[in-house]
Amino acid sequence: MMKETRRSFIRKGASIFAVAAGGVAIITLLRQLVPRMIGQKKRVKVGKSSIFPVDTFTYVDEHKIYIYRDHEGVKAVSAVCTHLGCILEIDEDGFICPCHGSSYDRSGEVLSGPAPRALSWFRVSKAPDGQLVIDMTRQVKPDTKFLTT
Amino acid sequence: MDSQDIGNIQLEGEVAGDRISRIRKITQNFFLHIHSTRIHPDNLKPTYTFGLGITLGFLLLILILTGVVLMMYYTPSVERAYQSVKDIVFVVPGGRLIRNIHRWASHGMVFVLFLHLARVFYTGAYLKSRRLNWIIGVSMLVVTLFLSFSGYLLPWDQLAYWAVTIGSNIAASARELTDLIGITSGFDVGGFMKRILIGGETVGQPALSRFFTLHVIFLPLTLLILIGVHFWRIRKDGGLSRPGNPESNLDDQPGSEGRIYTWPTVLWAELAILLSVSAILLIIAFVVDAPLLEKANPAFAENPAKSPWYFLGIQELVSYSAFSGGVLIPLLFLVFLISIPFIDREKQYTGVWFSGRQGLRITFYSLAVSLIVTLALLFVIVQFGWLRDWFPGMSQAVVMLINPATLSMLFYILWSRWVRIRTGSTRMASIALFTASLAGLVLFTAMGIWFRGPNWEFFWSRSDWPVI
Repeated sequence: MMKETRRSFIRKGASIFAVAAGGVAIITLLRQLVPRMIGQKKRVKVGKSSIFPVDTFTYVDEHKIYIYRDHEGVKAVSAVCTHLGCILEIDEDGFICPCHGSSYDRSGEVLSGPAPRALSWFRVSKAPDGQLVIDMTRQVKPDTKFLTT
Repeated sequence: MDSQDIGNIQLEGEVAGDRISRIRKITQNFFLHIHSTRIHPDNLKPTYTFGLGITLGFLLLILILTGVVLMMYYTPSVERAYQSVKDIVFVVPGGRLIRNIHRWASHGMVFVLFLHLARVFYTGAYLKSRRLNWIIGVSMLVVTLFLSFSGYLLPWDQLAYWAVTIGSNIAASARELTDLIGITSGFDVGGFMKRILIGGETVGQPALSRFFTLHVIFLPLTLLILIGVHFWRIRKDGGLSRPGNPESNLDDQPGSEGRIYTWPTVLWAELAILLSVSAILLIIAFVVDAPLLEKANPAFAENPAKSPWYFLGIQELVSYSAFSGGVLIPLLFLVFLISIPFIDREKQYTGVWFSGRQGLRITFYSLAVSLIVTLALLFVIVQFGWLRDWFPGMSQAVVMLINPATLSMLFYILWSRWVRIRTGSTRMASIALFTASLAGLVLFTAMGIWFRGPNWEFFWSRSDWPVI
């Protein structure tokens, strides 16, 4: 092994320091690209249940969900296609995606097309002021209803 | 060229003075000395290069100039972007024309890029030391596609919003794979890619800011640096490719009789191309307006939400499966492009279109079988549907792995293997795979452009689309 001189020691030390400093700088820069909070999934109020027509899906465009109300209760399903994120439209069988034609039944199960997953159903509850609360952080089984009667 | 070389050339009377002045015109000029002082006559043959590379250079120049003008008025904010583009079109004098030129030049650039790629491939101009330049060229293709994609979001209209929503979810589609293995909750590559790209879960202000930065600074700078290296490599590799052995006979060395002086011959040719490109662009920009739909509305998808035409091939593929069509197959195609010069080292073919008669035959056969097989697959999926229509509840893994996209790719690879075995030539196998996959890409793209309507359903013509 070569004898460590002062010069070679300093050279090695400086190289290690340079690599480490460069690495930290690059990681810091790249870290900037992924923000800590992107606040997407959340609990939202959508109004009192009485504003939703009975026996039909109503689109809440602010939160991209469909609310279904009947005489028993209310349920909420995502209106975003699991394929590439387009907004689903309602058709006779259930939902259909305008972008690549994925179709789902009324329970959100995939019928045809490239969609990889069934639609998400969200937990519905009621706030003290009487408004419905859709908790988009909590998924529930398909067709789970919040009983209003 | 240094002064010693000039001394070596036989100089007599006026002719000699003329030669020196021609050489000096190039060597003494910062911009012109990107050229060598003299070039081989074969390189000026229109039917060899078709001037495609230089056309791309001019298109980029036009894009930069018009882009800077557009940037004076454009505001990269969700609230104001759309209005500022409208101002460019309706308020700024000549703004509509500048925007049209910018849009059509970018489309032209993608189109000519693919032609240039094909030209370089079919003339075998990636062999030997040109290997590095081929890879740089493929990188430039990727950068140019990202440039177009990032520019597409900026007007913030419905088309922009939904095309980029689809694009960003393609970036996230690795989730299909991680979902299958069941590791998405701990190791969400797709989600990470998407967040890096658009800075959130849905396209919004962070996405617009990022795309703006990418579009006006990062990607153009990257492209310019790559172009610098691209041109430098051409000089290092002994000028443009041609038959024979250009490396042994560098353009700047004395004794290369029969060479053409760059000044003025080559420059005239280049000027002619610049003028033609400008003229064609001006005519198109006067006649056809760049589209601008209503302002982006995140609550309602455009139907159909089509990307620019050069991404519609990929959009057709993702309509079978997001991961295999949007990530797997494009990546494999890129890997194939980059690996061509490493698979194929038959250097005797440099500079000959299609490597002669055998190559031309292989090209035709590959074109024919690829069109037939791809068309057959498209016919099946349009006429009879696919697995989920036959077996409801088909697992996602099967849908992802077995679809017209993966099947056609598999066929192209098998076809190329067969050609390799039959001819024993890696060059012929490369031609087979390149031709077959490019023909497939063209067919899928044509399908996306002309035969897909609302809900991505098949229509023979746009006039058959249902009125919504």
